[in-house]
Amino acid sequence: MVHGLDTVGTASEAVSVKEDTAGFERFVAPVNYVVTLASSIALVIASFVLSYSVASRYFFHFSTDWQDEFSVFLIVGAVFMSAAAVQARRGHVAIEAFSAMLSRRANRIRLFLVDVASLAFCAFFAWKSWILLHEAIVEGYRTGSTWQPPLWVPYSLMTCGMVLLSIQLILQVATHISRWNKPV
Amino acid sequence: MSILSIGLLYGGSTLLVMFAGMPIAFALGAVATIFMIAFMPSSSVDTITQNVYEEMASITLLSIPLFILKGAAIGRSRAGQDLYGALHAWLHRIPGGLGIANVFACALFAAMAGSSPATCSAIGSAGIPQMRKHGYSGGFAAGIIAAGGTLGILLPPSITMILYAVAAEQSLGRLFLAAIGPALLLVVLFTAYAMWRFRLEYANAKAAYEKSGTHSEILRIDNLSMREKFALLPRVLPFIVLLTGVMIALYGGFATPSETAGLGAVLALALIAIIYSVWTPSDLEPILMSTLRESTMLMLIIGMSLLYSYVMSYLHISQSTAEWIVSLHLSRWILLVTILLMVVVLGFFLPPVSIILMTAPIILPPLRAANFDLIWFGVIMTIVMEMGLIHPPVGLNIFVINNIAPDIPLRDVMWGVLPFVGLMILGVVILCFAPGIATWFPDQVMGAGH
Repeated sequence: MVHGLDTVGTASEAVSVKEDTAGFERFVAPVNYVVTLASSIALVIASFVLSYSVASRYFFHFSTDWQDEFSVFLIVGAVFMSAAAVQARRGHVAIEAFSAMLSRRANRIRLFLVDVASLAFCAFFAWKSWILLHEAIVEGYRTGSTWQPPLWVPYSLMTCGMVLLSIQLILQVATHISRWNKPV
Repeated sequence: MSILSIGLLYGGSTLLVMFAGMPIAFALGAVATIFMIAFMPSSSVDTITQNVYEEMASITLLSIPLFILKGAAIGRSRAGQDLYGALHAWLHRIPGGLGIANVFACALFAAMAGSSPATCSAIGSAGIPQMRKHGYSGGFAAGIIAAGGTLGILLPPSITMILYAVAAEQSLGRLFLAAIGPALLLVVLFTAYAMWRFRLEYANAKAAYEKSGTHSEILRIDNLSMREKFALLPRVLPFIVLLTGVMIALYGGFATPSETAGLGAVLALALIAIIYSVWTPSDLEPILMSTLRESTMLMLIIGMSLLYSYVMSYLHISQSTAEWIVSLHLSRWILLVTILLMVVVLGFFLPPVSIILMTAPIILPPLRAANFDLIWFGVIMTIVMEMGLIHPPVGLNIFVINNIAPDIPLRDVMWGVLPFVGLMILGVVILCFAPGIATWFPDQVMGAGH
């Protein structure tokens, strides 16, 4: 179910990485499952927190100073943490307009290059996230609101999520390499 | 290097990596990062993750996953079928009533779920077999559902509208209200076409029957008692209450858009638990997982699109392109048509979220300079992107229909949706001549001038 877009099938080459990188996969798959479960619970908690915000303001006239930021942390955390699990299913939407025009071998090379480029970007982003997290801890960064929660909380979720995503992409690149000499 | 060269390089490299098949989110992020390293001070590269986080940590944008959760909860229950069943019972005596019931069910379901493919899937899985059983041609039945489903990105709470509100810095409440009139216009156009097409298919079936005695199901008339009709209402009413309740919370000033999203999600989960007994972990798991998959994919595209736009703006690419478009001194209608054609072409390849966030910095200044109302344009742009959901070559809804009704050949589905593409173009033309259809209602509710 997608709002105007769908996972238009980078799935073609996709998911079956089991036999080639089984050990690595055995480690990553349960991690992805637990993270996804925690992330979906975070989304539900965010819904309840925002509903509580309406009820407490309307019925009890409480001020609502922490609910928005708490929900932002939960949702941003859920999004970054589950990015690897989505990538494991090739769920990040891509344009596959030319895949049908290429030979299977050319497609294999194309997907390898795409995964390497994706890995390079995500690893760079994970590294920069780590630097930001380190700075936030050392400098004691906080948000500018009246509640002032520490920023290392969402930054750590962003860093962990991008590291997991990079590991997932390493797994997919490794799968390409291990299949390189097998017939197309 | 001149801004023109950098701009061409930026656009060209984006197209290259996207068409190579790199996921859109990573492609936008990677191109933006490379251009930051090459053309921007190193200090800006150091803040890349902070930029993405700060752009994403907007509570308005983060209402998107919660609206998706609300839609997934309703979409995965039997609500769509119940809604369709009740409308069919009440409208079946009108000529083409079954088709009309499907259009209405799509509109109402889209307003509850906020998703085009979810609407197609939920209403179409019940509606298409019923229409076929009653003798409607496959293409006609598929066209009704595919087009009806597109209302999901127009009617509130539309994700596309949320993004446009953020990108164009317009009031989300006003945009939501502005979409209601045009959505009703499209419903009227689709309904009129459904009646006309039904009469045509009915006349053909009757002529065939009189000529050769071949009986078609389209000639059969259903009769449902008032008792049967009223028996179907209780299952639908709670969802109508949810729909109106959420709207009242938003426009009555009780809740912000993000709180409305949270409240809607909680109420939708509560309703499916009470009415359909969907509450066990195994029932909820697919709802939560699909929400998370879609939300993550969308939010990463949004975050990276915003980074992409930031780099485009820092390097003066968007400003220079916008100034160049203004300097052409095109007549305002030629400017509008050119921009909409560009949106149509981009819609062949890109999802609406990327189209909005990537093009807004370029197309909105010239439109503002040409005195177009940006709320009105948001509605027009959304309808044009709706067309992208049903026209070939991508036409996501076509493939959703193909999935739920594989017995209808893809060719028939494509021919079936084309009249609806024409109706949407007609809708856009009507809105150009009568912009009040979009702007009157928000002006009444929220006051004129913004």
